[in-house]
Amino acid sequence: MGLQYHDNGWIGIVITLAMVAMILLNIFRAHGTGDLYIRRIAGLNSIDEAVGRATEMGRPVMMVPGISAPVNAKTMQAINIFAYVTRVCARFANPILVCCNDATVLTVCQEVIRDVYQQEGLQDLYDVDSVRFISDRQFAFAGGVAGLILREKAAATFLMGEWYAESLILAETANSVGAIQVASSTEVTQTPFFIAACDYVLIGDEFYAASAFLTRQPVLVGSLIGQDWCKLAIIGIVIVGVISNSIQLMGGSHHTVTQRWNEGKFEGLPKPSPFNAGDTTFSRWLNPDPAKDTKIERPKLPPDEMPQKSAGGGQ
Amino acid sequence: MELFAQVAPKTFWNAPNSSTELLVKIFIGLAIGVALFFGLMAAPTQVRKPVLFTTTFVSGLFYVVFWLFPQPINRQPDDAPRNAMEGFSFWISDSQAVIADVTNIVAAFLIGLGIYSLLKVHAGRLVKQQKDWGFSAVLLVSMLAMVIFGYGDFIMRLDPANSKMAGSGYVGWTFWQFGKDLLFNGLLQNMDAAMFSIVAFYILSAAYRAFRARSIEATILLVTALIVMLSLMGLIEFYWGSSVDGLHLSNNFKLTNIAAWLGKNIQTPALRGIDFGVGIGLMAMGLRIWLSLEKTGGTS
Repeated sequence: MGLQYHDNGWIGIVITLAMVAMILLNIFRAHGTGDLYIRRIAGLNSIDEAVGRATEMGRPVMMVPGISAPVNAKTMQAINIFAYVTRVCARFANPILVCCNDATVLTVCQEVIRDVYQQEGLQDLYDVDSVRFISDRQFAFAGGVAGLILREKAAATFLMGEWYAESLILAETANSVGAIQVASSTEVTQTPFFIAACDYVLIGDEFYAASAFLTRQPVLVGSLIGQDWCKLAIIGIVIVGVISNSIQLMGGSHHTVTQRWNEGKFEGLPKPSPFNAGDTTFSRWLNPDPAKDTKIERPKLPPDEMPQKSAGGGQ
Repeated sequence: MELFAQVAPKTFWNAPNSSTELLVKIFIGLAIGVALFFGLMAAPTQVRKPVLFTTTFVSGLFYVVFWLFPQPINRQPDDAPRNAMEGFSFWISDSQAVIADVTNIVAAFLIGLGIYSLLKVHAGRLVKQQKDWGFSAVLLVSMLAMVIFGYGDFIMRLDPANSKMAGSGYVGWTFWQFGKDLLFNGLLQNMDAAMFSIVAFYILSAAYRAFRARSIEATILLVTALIVMLSLMGLIEFYWGSSVDGLHLSNNFKLTNIAAWLGKNIQTPALRGIDFGVGIGLMAMGLRIWLSLEKTGGTS
């Protein structure tokens, strides 16, 4: 039995695999189904409005894919949305600026933005310097992007991806030049800052729903429906957990236990202990024992395979 | 030849110090890297795509197997596997750090691209004396100075004779150490801190706009924020708390208790809900990238 399956660890794995199955099932289902309904997302409807305004003002549209380093799924999602924004900008011959915090993000952004211009047959409009590396230090990046917003007087800013303390610096700077702002953060701690400072905010998983909403690709729409199934499953688990825990915790401080779950089995206690939330069946299922006290007897490696301190090695 | 000190037990991915096996493994790694690099550069697009899909799938598959295959429980550094299953489990565990290092190495190579992008934009602006060229000059001079002093300091510290430099009190420091210290700790760190401190003022201006009671939602936000802020003000909390102190029921109306209730029963569940959505979205996105179902930027 492996570490991750020890005690009730397998339950978490089964739940995750079930969610993966739901997403994949719906992706395949969506290929055979017609147009599926996705509710309106105000932040995404405003993209055309923001680009239109920038075109009227003759000022650039700025896009910043967060400060993830190196490139990850969150950055890829931000870049997917920026590909759509760039397409709209390209059609209106509107200048764009993409500011990157990391060289890997820069490379992916350059590829995607160039692809979009090529697909639109507007290669001549593509400016290589429109996708820029600013700095990989958080506040040097914030200072650099804020300076660009002020100097270029961006008409619209799209701040999407993984954000931390620099989020408000950028959002407030863009607000000070009157830019229309669409933002989204995968960090819940930064979402309130964006809500306070920006015109439109994609909250939580709306960020991941964006590419499905914008492109209506069956794969993305199916994946979105799969995500909704997963959320329903989680809501179900939460409801069952609330009911189950409430029933088991009835009786308050008078309810005691004489044995407690440890290392995958019940062990007797020296004296009765109050029954707490950690003793409920649901808690036990979802909080497997970390196997700290489990001892496994294994053969030992031959000495020549261990680092030799005399050769300058060893831990 | 003493190339490296062996710091960990021998695994598939390393070899004892100075052994032929170590040299062969370094050579194989370099050969695969160079072949992949030039092979991909030379390959036509229709060949490149399947290669990229396969690489993405295999890379992702490693982490799937790493997560699903039973991991060893309480493995000690000198433990040998008991059977073939455990041998594979050990191999996967040992490989994880190496695979993560590959990502770091690729990212390190790309830093050169970032520097090229900066130089291209700013050197061009400086040469053509375009608008705001002064800022570009400052950036290029700063970058050059940091590279020169950083490298000079790094090289000197490599010499074991200069080990006392690592201690406190500027012992053994030379022009290079003082120069690097001035640039990094004296300027860059302070400028970072200055940028961070600006956030406090931005919070104030953003909060002013957000808390104006223009709608029911904004009014709820205003009242809630007011309660939380007042609960953190010692003097107000003391007098408010004293005035409602006494009855068991009225204790619930102490500002700290109301703020704690709001945090525990309103804020935390809302954040958990958002977290679930973000987590599932991230999983779906990762799945689409791993299986190459996502067409990044390629669809109109």
